[in-house]
Amino acid sequence: MKREAPALDTVQQWFQAVVTHPEGVAAGSAADEAQRLIRLDRGELETIVRRSRNLTAEERLSIYANAYWARLLECLGDCFPVLKQALGEDVFDSFGFEYLQRYPSRSYTLDRLGESFPRFLDETRPPDADWPDFLVDLARLEWTLAKVFDGPGVEGQALVRPDDLAGIAPERFAAARLVPVVCLRLLVSRYPVNAYYTAARHAEEGAEEGKDVPIPEPGEELVAILRRDFVVRRYTLSRPQYALLTALLDGAPVGEALAAAAAASDLDDDGLAVALQAWFRFWTAEGFFHRLDD
Amino acid sequence: MDARGARLGHQNLGLGVGLRSVHFDHILRTTPDVDWFEIISENYVDSGGRPRYVLQQLAERYAIVMHGVSLSIGANDPLDHEYLKKLKTLAREVNARWISDHLCWTGVLGRNTHDLLPVPFTEQTLRHVVERIRIVQDVLERPFVLENPSSYVTFTGSTMEEHEFISRMAEEADCGLLLDVNNVYVSSFNHDLDPEVFIRALPHERIVQFHLAGHSNYVTHLIDTHDGHVIDPVWDLYRLAHQLTGGVSTLLEWDAKIPPFPVLHDEVLKAKRFMGDNLPAEPQGEADLVAAASSPMSPISPISPISPTPHPLHHIRPEIE
Repeated sequence: MKREAPALDTVQQWFQAVVTHPEGVAAGSAADEAQRLIRLDRGELETIVRRSRNLTAEERLSIYANAYWARLLECLGDCFPVLKQALGEDVFDSFGFEYLQRYPSRSYTLDRLGESFPRFLDETRPPDADWPDFLVDLARLEWTLAKVFDGPGVEGQALVRPDDLAGIAPERFAAARLVPVVCLRLLVSRYPVNAYYTAARHAEEGAEEGKDVPIPEPGEELVAILRRDFVVRRYTLSRPQYALLTALLDGAPVGEALAAAAAASDLDDDGLAVALQAWFRFWTAEGFFHRLDD
Repeated sequence: MDARGARLGHQNLGLGVGLRSVHFDHILRTTPDVDWFEIISENYVDSGGRPRYVLQQLAERYAIVMHGVSLSIGANDPLDHEYLKKLKTLAREVNARWISDHLCWTGVLGRNTHDLLPVPFTEQTLRHVVERIRIVQDVLERPFVLENPSSYVTFTGSTMEEHEFISRMAEEADCGLLLDVNNVYVSSFNHDLDPEVFIRALPHERIVQFHLAGHSNYVTHLIDTHDGHVIDPVWDLYRLAHQLTGGVSTLLEWDAKIPPFPVLHDEVLKAKRFMGDNLPAEPQGEADLVAAASSPMSPISPISPISPTPHPLHHIRPEIE
């Protein structure tokens, strides 16, 4: 049947509906969304798309349909390699397949493809189960690592060094604001996903290649993440360290941040004072702070 | 011949390769004798980390061309001006010789399929694309070049051949062309057309750049996978295109199963053999034979997990201690 050529906007909306349909081209072209745009009876695909000598219109459209899912699942897997390893490819792809239907890409860049994946895992978790926390937290960790890797950084800029804090009077230090580097992120996890991440990478790269890393037992883990010399670094934190850095990230004066650390600490004053000195020495050596604002 | 002469007056940069992150360390360490690099724009426009830093280092030494996959010049959706602005900023930063993308659309209704989807070749599409190219040129204020993509379908509503569409588009919008010789081969095979007719029909003085790449042969169709060597018939087309244009900047793309840098570089240097009357010295076409031997002969199943992933797929893996 000869039909009038549909307008460009109609063709494109129809094409997209057909090749991104989760059940493939035949189901996509029969679905309401495509039918509202171009009404086709069974076997009429070739009134819109030509067949070739070797392939039917449906087979040709399926090249795009296959590529759509394969490409985006591959990219999503690249965003969350350790989560994919933990779940296994089939399970990861089944989560990814659902995710891409609920959160299709709306950006010019694939770098944002996984942005809502942790949230999706949280939204679709089975009720009354704790283990999804592991998946959500691991996804959140991997997404944060990726963002820190290619986000704003402080390479080439002067940072606060250990000696910079040595001679400052206590009152002045307490009133000052110690500004963290722009790439510092803090994460609280319900499972030790950072430790798991390290073990999984060792298993992948080292002598234990191919060996499965067991899913850990639940347990709070606090982590600081930053980038130095273009490489992402991870630091496990204690509760008082986390409280202190959180307060500094929130823009609190150092005195308030120290009070937050003290409130979270079991150490006596002397013990805490010694610990604080060691923490600041370590953090400044590692490039945690951009500047000290009086 | 256009009054500006061959290549619209743009320089022939020589033989270049696509910059891929797996080669960053090698390139920085050895500063290979490559004429120029082409980057995938989307990998750098938002980068605040090592990719952009590396690019800045390379831009001080090498000529850079920006090649995008998200402009969606053929889409019915509005142009993404935030994206264009970022392209312009990066182009200024790295002194991009020109900016290219594909004659395609990538999604509508706000979605991005991240694929290079085919347009119907109609008068309506032509008017639409020409108008948008003019807008892009006005915004970018830098030479703008469009590439013929590989395609796997044609529309019954098309009223002209792809080469006619591209020729008219380039003339009416006054833009340059990036002739992807491999894409001509892939699309011509898929659409039962003669690739030589396509190449001969183009306005050769508007061709600013060539692309070369490998593809996968699935017997019933070819897929533009950029995962292997350039095969003999594509080199033959390259020789023809070189004769017709007088030679333009030539770039090899390799996006999957990426080999060590020297292999990549050697591959593009083979182009020298086709710039004169020389024939290739060694048998080629292994990529076709290997793919054909292992390719599925049955019709393509929907959402097959083993389906090939055509270009473009670009994601830079983070470096984490």
